[in-house]
Parts: sequence; C-alpha cells; structure tokens
Amino acid sequence: MSSTLHRRSQLTAIANLRWRMFVNGLRSKRGKMELVSRIVVTAAFTLGGLGGFAIATGSSWYFVSQGKAEFLAILLWPIFFFWQVFPVMSTAFTNNPDSSDLLRFPLTYRSYFLIRLAYGFCDPASALGSLSIFGILLGVSVARPLLFPWALLVLLTFALFNLVVMQTVFAWLERWLAQRRTREILGVVFILFMLSFQLIGPMMQRFEKKPRPEFSRAAHIVTQVQAVLPPGLAADAIARASHSEYVVGFTSLLFLATLTMAVGCLLHLRLRAQFRGENLSEAAARPAVEHVQGLQVGWNLPGFSQAVAAVFEKEVRYLARSGPMLLTLIMPIFMLLVFRLGPMNPMRPQGSFFNRAPDMAFPGAAAYALLVLTNLVYNSFGGDSGGIQFFYASPAHFRQIVVGKNLTHASILVANTALAWIAVAYFYGAPRPAVSFATVAGLLFAAPLNFTVGNLLSIYAPRKRDFATFGRQNVSQTTVLASLGVQIVIIGIGVAAFVIARLYHDLWIAAFVFLALAAISIPMYLMVLRRIDSIALQRRETLVAELCRA
Amino acid sequence: MDSAPTISTQGLTRRFGDLVAVDGVDLRVAPGQFFGFLGPNGAGKSTTIKMLTGLLASSSGSIEILGLDLNSHPVEVKRQIGVVPEGMALFGRLTGAEFLSFVGRMYGLDRDTAAKRAAELLEFMQLADQPKKLVTDYSHGMQKKLAMAAAVIHGPKVLFLDEPFEGVDAIAAGTLKSMLQGMIARGATIFLTSHVLEIVERLCSHVAIIHQGRLVAQGSLEELRAGVEAQTPAGSDDGAQASGEKLTLEQIFLRIVGGARRTEQELSWLG
Repeated sequence: MSSTLHRRSQLTAIANLRWRMFVNGLRSKRGKMELVSRIVVTAAFTLGGLGGFAIATGSSWYFVSQGKAEFLAILLWPIFFFWQVFPVMSTAFTNNPDSSDLLRFPLTYRSYFLIRLAYGFCDPASALGSLSIFGILLGVSVARPLLFPWALLVLLTFALFNLVVMQTVFAWLERWLAQRRTREILGVVFILFMLSFQLIGPMMQRFEKKPRPEFSRAAHIVTQVQAVLPPGLAADAIARASHSEYVVGFTSLLFLATLTMAVGCLLHLRLRAQFRGENLSEAAARPAVEHVQGLQVGWNLPGFSQAVAAVFEKEVRYLARSGPMLLTLIMPIFMLLVFRLGPMNPMRPQGSFFNRAPDMAFPGAAAYALLVLTNLVYNSFGGDSGGIQFFYASPAHFRQIVVGKNLTHASILVANTALAWIAVAYFYGAPRPAVSFATVAGLLFAAPLNFTVGNLLSIYAPRKRDFATFGRQNVSQTTVLASLGVQIVIIGIGVAAFVIARLYHDLWIAAFVFLALAAISIPMYLMVLRRIDSIALQRRETLVAELCRA
Repeated sequence: MDSAPTISTQGLTRRFGDLVAVDGVDLRVAPGQFFGFLGPNGAGKSTTIKMLTGLLASSSGSIEILGLDLNSHPVEVKRQIGVVPEGMALFGRLTGAEFLSFVGRMYGLDRDTAAKRAAELLEFMQLADQPKKLVTDYSHGMQKKLAMAAAVIHGPKVLFLDEPFEGVDAIAAGTLKSMLQGMIARGATIFLTSHVLEIVERLCSHVAIIHQGRLVAQGSLEELRAGVEAQTPAGSDDGAQASGEKLTLEQIFLRIVGGARRTEQELSWLG
C-alpha cells in the first residue's frame, strides 16, 4: 500500500473510531441522557455563535464601509481570546480525546500532526471562532466586494494561527500536566492568572475618567503593540488593502504567516517529542528515601461514627492536597475584594452594587460560597475513582460515606461563610443581625437542597475526576444542566425573598421565608439520605464501571 | 465435606442482557481452604468474585458466607471478609499510612488500632520507607501490596483476591505468599482467582474451574486429577499419563475446558 493510501486509511479509521465511540456511548440510558443534554448545550452554543456571527458581520460591514477597516482589530481580539481561553475554561462542553494514545500505531509524524490539528478543529471554540471570522469575511465582502479574495486569505491565515496556538497551548499543557507536581503548580498559576483577570474590570473602573497622562501614554503604547500582534496584523492587512496600500498590507499578512509558522514550530517541538516517545514518569521526580514518621492516628469527630470521621478526614486530605481546589474555595473572599475595588473611585459616587446595597454583600458572598461547592457536591464520588469499589466492599453504610462527604462540604461552607462575614465587615461594615440571620437561614435552606440533589446526581451521573488537574475534566452534561437549574431556582428564591423583605423594609421577613423553606429542604435531605443505601446499591454497577474506567 | 462451608452459593446466576455471564454456579468452600477459582478469559471469574463480595448484584441464586446470607446481612458479611478487587480500590491522594488507617476505621477498628496495624503492615510489605509518598505515585507492584495490606488490616476470616499476583515482582510475590500461607495456618479461608496456574497449584489445596459461566469442576487437586485421568483414554496427547508423571494443573485445566490449541497453519501469514 502506498504511503498516501496508508495515511488516508489511518485517518479514516480514526474518524470511524470517534464515530463508533459516540454511537456506542448511546447504548446506555446515561449515554442517551448525555446526548439530550449535549443537544441542549449545542443549541445554546449555536445561538451564541449566530449572535457572534451577526455582530461580526454587522460591525465589520460598518467599519469597512466607513473606511475604518483597522477597527476590525476590535472584533479580532475578542475572537482570539475566546478561541484560546474558552477550551481551557469550558471543560464540560469539550471532548477530551487523548490523541497520544494513537502513538502505539504505525502513524507517520505527519499524520499525527494532522490528527492533532483536526482534533483542534472539532473543538467548539474553533467552530464558534470560525463562524465569527466568517461573519467578518461576509461583512467586509458586502461592504467592499473587491476585498473578498484578500480578506479570505488574511482571515484564513488568522484562523489557522488561532488553531495552531490552541493546539500548541494544549500540547505544552499536556507536557506539564503529565506529572502531578507540575500539574498542581500549573493549576495554581492558572487560577492566579484567572483571579488577576478578575481585577482588570475594577481597576479600569477605579481609574477611568481620571485625567492621568501616564494612562494616555500607556493606552497609546498598547494600541501600537496590538498592531504588531496577530489580531492587529490581520486587521491591518485588510485595512491597508482597503486603502490600496497593498505592499504594507502584504507585509502584515507575511508577518502574521511568519508568526503562525513560529507557533507551529513550537507545536512541532512538542509533538515531535511525544512522537519519539518521551518518558514523563513520576518516579524520576521522587526522592529516594524519606524520614520515617511516627504513628499516624486518624481524626476523631465527636458524635460521629468512625466511618463518618474516616471519610471526613479522607475528604479533607484530598482537598488539602489539591492546589486548584483550595484556590477555588477561596474565591468568595476574592470576589468581595473585586467588588470592593470597583467603587473606590471617587469619580463614581454610585459605585458597585454592593456599595449601593451593602446589606446584600454578605448574602451575595454566602451564595457564591455555595456556588463554588457545586463541582464537589454534584460529583462527590468523582475524585474517588477506583476507590468506589472499596466503599461497596466495606461494611460501612453508604449513608455514612455520604454524610462524611456532606460534612466536609458543610464545613467548607461554614468556614467560607464565616470568612465572608469578616471580609464584609472589613470592606462594607458589619452586616446587620437581620442580614446575618437571613443569610444563615438561606444557607440552611439552600445547602440541604444542594446536598440532596448533589448526592443523587453523584450516584446517577458520576464522572471520574482528577483533583490535581484544573480544567479539561470530563464532566457529565446532565449534571451541569441539573446543577445549573438548582442554582437558578435557589438564587431566584433568594433574590425574591430579599427583594420582598427590602420592599417592606424588614429583612427579618427574608429570614422567616428561608427558615420555612429550610423546614422543607432539611427533611427532604434526610429522606433521601435514608434511601441512599438502596439507591447506591441499585446503581453500583454504573458507579463502579464509570469511576473505575481507565 | 462435613463442616459448614465458609462460602457457598446455590444457583448463582448473573445475566447482562441476553448474555448469561455466570450460570447456576454452586460453590462450596470449606473453612481453612486455600481455594483457587480458575477459568479462561471471559469465563465469569471476576463476575463471580464481584457477586461474592457485594460489588455486583446477582440475577438469581443465593450466596452464603460464614453462614450468613449476603443479600440479607451484607454489612455483617462484609465486616468479616477482605477483598482485593480487580481495580484494587485504592484512594490515590492519600499516603500509604493514611489509606490503611482509613480502611481500618471503615472496617470498625478504633483509631489507635488502625494506625498501629497500618504501620505494621507497611513495614511488613516494605512500603514504610517513603511515608509521604502518595498512593497515586506508587508503582503497580507497590499498589498491589498496599491493596493486599488494606484487605487484611481488620483480620478478616475470609479473603477474596482477584489476580493478586498480576504485575507483582518475584520478591513482592514471595512476601504476599508467605503472608497468605500464614493466614491459612491461622484458620482463615482464601478465595483466589489467577491466570498463573503454577501459583495456584503451589498455593491452593482446592480448585474450581468455571467455563462459559458454568462450574465444570470443583474439588481438591487430587480429586480433579483423578477425575481427568479417569476420563482420558490411554495414550492421550500430552504423554504425562504414559510416562507415569502426575498431571499438572495446567494439563488438568486444558483438558477440562477443552483448550485444544489451533494449528499454526490457520495463521500462516504470521512471520
């Protein structure tokens, strides 16, 4: 068989493999539920994508027809950021095929490189990004039909650049994620980066309208710098052509193509190393001998059985060893800081929402504290992986295991809420007793409701997860949609209760509403807890099969 | 067999849709036996061991362990058994000591006893020199030893082991075998599945063979050997009987499950 035919046959086999995996996934009820969820999510993405397409088409038409094609950079920068950031952030909505698994087959390096690019092209970010770029092409072509071939060439190069950058980022991330230690460091760095990102808005608000010459200079420099970066280059290439400055426009395109090649070289370096079979074993990074410790006695939880205490200790140890998870849990305090930074600007007397309604800062932070627990509560066995077999083989009742896990979640919630109270007191003044009481009552209603649904979904739609990794986790879309629904209901009820209470100028009303709701949600939690052993027993095969898969 | 069996099943059956993975299995394992459960790939060994340990529900039939029905007394049964399942059931982000202490407490040991036994077991399994190392960073063999330690920390009366020696080096295998033989000497019962027939032959006093979901043989090695020899005509293919040598377990196994090897001609394209 010739090498071209051989390569074609391999690529067809891989496409067929992906298709069969998808079709075979539909055999189970859970697979069918996932398909329904995926259709809902795809419909939402399609709507968003069409929105982006419409904005891109309209705006680009306007810019070009007004002779301001260089403003296309305003559209291309968000596309670039979306294309690169979305795949990392939206782990629930992406497929995570491990293409390096294919290396055991006699693939040529060229085929492997192409497969990696093809996988990238199938990512939702690529589809949505491409749709927006197509919108720009359409807008430019309608405004100036003669620009079509040139814009097509420039925008295709820009799309290829985005695709190559995305795959390069993931190829290098894979390298760093291959070892637990580097994985955790990367997770922490990533979260710190995302947290810093949150500060941009408040900082901009803080300094806006303030006539400072250094900011004007900085803005000028940023404008110049962006012009030599890919989105700026693509915009410049089209703009120059629209002003009949073809040579300069061609130079910009050439520069963009060179950058694409340069990033492609980085991707090549990484993929070549993978192709040659690099060794990233953990053992090499481990010290040979450690000091022997004394006897390690487990924790005691007064009032709880040994099994509950043991599960609680295990959960806390797991979380304490997960840098990404720990950082996620401090988010509520950080968000308060973000909100607080906004209204410091004396030019903005109204400030942020919490500045105008400081009474809502504590309930807001507490609600956020509950929200960040979603990942843990709604997939509480995900981190146990193969350990789930031990739970079934052990003589402990399943409800003891679930109570141990919920106790951990509740402890985090209590700690976060207490810290939030202190932070709110520091930033906005101590919350009034009625606010504090209403917030705690709200949590008494919301936490058991979350735990109830979370416990059921943890058993009905489990997904294996790695606590050491941030992003690219395989998440059940059924769980994502269900948890989203529960959070919307809880937040809706919470907001309604506080709005009514504020209308009557008596926040104790909200407290009593929440207490009444807690009187329903707590017995509901206990009722489900009583039945959790039989539910877990019924679902043991699915749970074990899902969490023990390699 | 006079004494009440430690493990007994009656008509144990498990269906997966149309497939009958385990079909009416009647097992009897007496106290103190080192029992080998053998079968070709896909015969139903792991499915049976999962049902015996409560990891999988049976479609029909009954399971009694230590005289207790598994379905009606699951917790009492589980308290007295130890399991090393197929996937080892470890918690990767704990250290070895933390994991064993956790397992001990889940089996009802108090904190001090669990910690003391965890330390002893880590020492015995030669896993104590890197106390801060997480289980996820252990090699496969180390994880196997840890899984075995976890299965025995509460001093079970019955031990179920699914392929305990798979991927374990000779030194570790020796450690595990000596521990298992010590348990048998102290009156425990061990139910083991393995594809390594030499190990089963050396360790087990009694054997059962499952084939296509059905139990096709059960008894002591001598009983199985006598049964096979009685059924095999003189001058059979392997020559063991002709030369007067005892049949090995491998020979017994191949004759019972009918594992006639295909000729190389069928794969003539192989280099």
